[in-house]
Amino acid sequence: MISSIEPKAFELVCYMVTSACNLLNENRLYGPFRLIDAASRLIALLEKEGVKSKRLKEIQERIVAGQYRVMEDEKVFTDFLQDLVLDLIPLMEDKTV
Amino acid sequence: MDLLKAIMERRSVRSFQADHVPEDTLRRLVEAGIWAPSGGNAQTWCFIIVTDGVSIRRLKMLSPGLLGNPPAVIVICQDIAEAERKGAKLGKEILSLMDSAMAAQNIMLAAYAEGLGTCIVRSFHPGGVQKLLRLPDYIEPQALISVGVPASVHKPPKRNFDIVSFQEYNGND
Repeated sequence: MISSIEPKAFELVCYMVTSACNLLNENRLYGPFRLIDAASRLIALLEKEGVKSKRLKEIQERIVAGQYRVMEDEKVFTDFLQDLVLDLIPLMEDKTV
Repeated sequence: MDLLKAIMERRSVRSFQADHVPEDTLRRLVEAGIWAPSGGNAQTWCFIIVTDGVSIRRLKMLSPGLLGNPPAVIVICQDIAEAERKGAKLGKEILSLMDSAMAAQNIMLAAYAEGLGTCIVRSFHPGGVQKLLRLPDYIEPQALISVGVPASVHKPPKRNFDIVSFQEYNGND
């Protein structure tokens, strides 16, 4: 029997594999964009499967709010990624999770 | 609708509401594409309108640039064999791409006039899309356009208007 998560996981895997192939010839900023988009999709998938996590939700909300800056301004997008990484640290250290 | 206003207000939309787009509307959009200029009047394009949810999901798996959940996707294709027959190397390698791009802009502006959002996408796997849509080898997918009612619209990227010269090139400084 196929578990309920399998079709969505399959879609995500296809997205990542196709991205890997296409990124050989695409805008260099699309690589980071596809990675954070994949992270956001993974979090959405886990949430749908009942994995409730405040810190994952927070990361996803940050990604959704900032990911399209890649289309607007390279510096704003790279600053957004730097901040996103640094803001992972308090989430790593959060003992309440 | 004022054309210049439509040109300036159209945005790439990557978040859509679930609303269905009627088939006659989609046909009107593609007809606007068919009215685009065509190099040497070759008109070697063809258009696949995908509205089936399962097919769109599969298309998305092969198209990382196809974002959000659009209720319709227009695939702009070119008959590359015919483009070469009519326009030689220039027709196959350059004019067919230009034709697809001009058709795409017409489609997107027509969609905007209908209150719809669109996004043109080239981040897809051409061979994969060709196989998925059962396209023969000589029919090449060149662009996807997602179509739907916008759920959100982002602000436009900055435009640089200091790149216009009259009579001769004056530099971009």
